Amino acid sequence: MNDDRKSILEMLAAGKITTDEAERLLTALDPKPAPPATDTPDAYASAPTSAQGRSKPPKYLRVLVEADESTTGLRGGPTTVNVRVPMQLLRAGVRLAGLIPPQAHDQLDEAFSKHGVPVTLSQIKPENLEELIDHLGDLTVDVDGKDENKTRVRVFCE
Amino acid sequence: MIPWSASIRVNWTTHRPAGPGSMTPRQRRLHLWVPLFLVWLLLLPLVLILFPFVALACIFVRINALRLYATAWSVLTSLRHTFVEVHSPAANVRVHLA
Repeated sequence: MNDDRKSILEMLAAGKITTDEAERLLTALDPKPAPPATDTPDAYASAPTSAQGRSKPPKYLRVLVEADESTTGLRGGPTTVNVRVPMQLLRAGVRLAGLIPPQAHDQLDEAFSKHGVPVTLSQIKPENLEELIDHLGDLTVDVDGKDENKTRVRVFCE
Repeated sequence: MIPWSASIRVNWTTHRPAGPGSMTPRQRRLHLWVPLFLVWLLLLPLVLILFPFVALACIFVRINALRLYATAWSVLTSLRHTFVEVHSPAANVRVHLA
């Protein structure tokens, strides 16, 4: 066991950091490659718990949704959605957004905000594309419903 | 590389009458392999015909037509390996572009 690992465990034992923080620190110390893309329905279970430690740039954006019967209204079990979108498609999408005439930006921004998506299209520029995608690589969004709402949403890159 | 084929799988359950007042569930399955390269070949003449009209429209709305063509091509090429899967009690749907 190296010194860094030992000191993290000591901090955890002393109660200076939480278990989640300790896990993040240990993951950062021991980088592992992202698991391969899976096409199985159990993809939710095999999704990475942390985006840290990725050595290669992400190739896909994954969205996993699991909703129970009370949310979907369908009896017989939960409904799961598993979407894998190539990052290349995001790049192309941003380039496509860059083609929208400036006079249409205001109308689109207004329509987006009406539907609860406060996006300013003029701020999404192809020049910032690579930086945006680099940051998406570290993105992991977990949404767990509480009480009656048992919907789980997971967005991450792989 | 543009997607050459699409694989579509749909599984669902139907209920057929098995007697008076009883229904038997029956698993239905649909597996489709769509050769997209044939679709592209069929669409190619149409795209070539539409090219000048799109270019004209681009001039009117002040968009660089070449950039539009390049972006449309990049959208098409990046669709490969897109995967969508929905599992629900009513049906399972899986679409994969390869």
